[in-house]
Amino acid sequence: MTDFLQMIASGIAVGSSYALMGLAMVIIYKTSEVVNFAQGEMALLSLFLTYMVLEFHGVPYYVAFPGALLFAVFLGCFLEFAVLRRAKEPNVLGMIIITIGLEMILMGFVSWKFGADQKTMPFPIGPYESVAIGEVFVSSLEVLTFITAIVLMTILFLFFRYSKLGVAMKATQQNSMAARLMGIKTKRILMITWGISSLVGCTAGLLIAPTTMQPYMMWDPMLKGFAAAVMGGMTSLPGSVFGAYLIGIIENLFGGYISIEFKSVVAFFIIVLVLCVKPSGLFARHFVKKV
Amino acid sequence: MKRNGIWIMSLASALLLALSFGAAAEEGVTDTTINIGQWGPQTGPAAAWGSVARGTGVYFKMINDEGGINGRKIEYHMFDDAYNPAKTKAGVKELQEGKGMFAWACGVGTAPGLSVKDYLMERQIPWVGPAAGSLHWISPPQKYLFAVYPLYYSEAQILTKYAVETLGKKKVAIVYQNDDYGKNGLAGAEKQLAKHGLKLVAQVPAEVADTDMKPHVMQLRKAEADAVLLWVGPGQAARMVGTATAMQYQTRWMSTSTCSDFPFMFNITKGLWKGVIAATFGELPDSTSPLMVKYKKAFDEFAAKDERWGLFFYAGIGFVEPMVEGIRRAGRDLTRERFVKEMEGITNFKGILGRIDYAPFEPSDVYSRQGQKEVFLVECLDNGGYKKLTDWMEPD
Repeated sequence: MTDFLQMIASGIAVGSSYALMGLAMVIIYKTSEVVNFAQGEMALLSLFLTYMVLEFHGVPYYVAFPGALLFAVFLGCFLEFAVLRRAKEPNVLGMIIITIGLEMILMGFVSWKFGADQKTMPFPIGPYESVAIGEVFVSSLEVLTFITAIVLMTILFLFFRYSKLGVAMKATQQNSMAARLMGIKTKRILMITWGISSLVGCTAGLLIAPTTMQPYMMWDPMLKGFAAAVMGGMTSLPGSVFGAYLIGIIENLFGGYISIEFKSVVAFFIIVLVLCVKPSGLFARHFVKKV
Repeated sequence: MKRNGIWIMSLASALLLALSFGAAAEEGVTDTTINIGQWGPQTGPAAAWGSVARGTGVYFKMINDEGGINGRKIEYHMFDDAYNPAKTKAGVKELQEGKGMFAWACGVGTAPGLSVKDYLMERQIPWVGPAAGSLHWISPPQKYLFAVYPLYYSEAQILTKYAVETLGKKKVAIVYQNDDYGKNGLAGAEKQLAKHGLKLVAQVPAEVADTDMKPHVMQLRKAEADAVLLWVGPGQAARMVGTATAMQYQTRWMSTSTCSDFPFMFNITKGLWKGVIAATFGELPDSTSPLMVKYKKAFDEFAAKDERWGLFFYAGIGFVEPMVEGIRRAGRDLTRERFVKEMEGITNFKGILGRIDYAPFEPSDVYSRQGQKEVFLVECLDNGGYKKLTDWMEPD
């Protein structure tokens, strides 16, 4: 029984970082239907710059971390403004290819500037300190990640549901022409979306970096986050978070009881299953354009 | 006028003849240069090992600075394959068929190396010191392939022997990377335990992409393993030890030479690597042996300024020391056949790694092409210092 509970706890713990990445991807998808494969690497750049100022310039945490988040917002807005907006005759597929290109450029830049050696991000909480709940262990960092994921999800959910800007974002996705006619500055909306998404991605990165930090670190969380988002329906914020926890728990249970060898791929197998049964994901109420 | 014409004609043909003889000497060798190639991951998941190729580069620069080998300077052609076998193969073919390499040095990784092994061997191109301790290089032995890196299989045997005989451990487990590298370690551990009438209490495979190591730790905990061999990459090994600490599981961790760069491991585990026992195959970074001092000086002079003097950097030197010795012994008349013959004559050779012996090619004798067989064990101290636990050891 302890084993089972431990697996569930571990699943939730690992699911939290997938959830944050999933949220970040959903935000962009919600407004532009673009899957942003550069999500992880956008965070990567902010992380390595944070590492640089913390490690070599003696900047304290309370300046460096908010600074990282601010930089992430700026980077997101900048990439949208300087790269994606410049695409000629943009279509979704073209945009996705652009994000893949950005991913490669950012990863290449980080590898070149900082080298590929494993590093460790200084962090106020030791990455291997743990909290025991009965006989179940969870690391303090994982507790923090869990709380962050839930809080961010709630804020974003409320933001999209009730704030003027959030509704404008939704409108832009559903019909950008009509949105523009209603006086929404759709280009600015897209830019802000990229900024917010980059912020969430960077938060995920900051929580992953204390345990693993090298130029490749964001690829796996990004893929799993994407998988979670697909499972949740790509447009639903709670859906992507739920999907992420589900993937985390299934991975752990599968690893513990069936085969540790196929633990990492079982998530993708489940996604195929879900998509066969419910193609738009578990939670999506996808907007269908009328012809 | 006519006589002049004949003179010019005969001069020109003599020149042509001389040139064509010159070109026929050996691929990749001219009067003043020798072309040597190497691949190594400078980007991608295995980039931490990219320092091997840069170490070789610094060594060659030092040699050239001293005047080269027998009047020839080494032209070193290194490319980044990102640990991707498809890229390795394309890059090797491009350099071999475009520029013409006399021989290939090191090359990180089992999978990248395997992708070009047949290509190089079919063309009878020498390859010395693959930077991976795989059984594939020597079983069966290849005439033109000289392995240096001691076998992971032997390392596992020696570590297991130490765990059982010296530390008195009875419940040994292994976490192994689910590929050729990890499985070599698994096989070595099983073989050694069988000699003591024991079996592994747990064998836990880890995929390269696994970042969450809790399920792995849980299996170890369930098996109550009191010694665990970590046959995974450095990043994963760090996460294993960290996750185990977070889950308050304590055991005696042991690891392969791959994770024996202690200052690095100590740093990425934030100190948790202290007490880990690892096998290692070369002198320690602060060694004061004359060769190490000389190479350190070359490092200070030629390496990039943010380069680190770590095990894998100078391993890139150690792996090619026998190659340089072979070229030196071959003299001015450098051909591949001559080089191979001289390599076969290298016995009792001691550079900065262990003792290296080759023997004339014998298809049934794998050790005719496995240069180094010995390793020694070290324990990680505070701040990534080394404590030598044993002398050089060979498996039984």
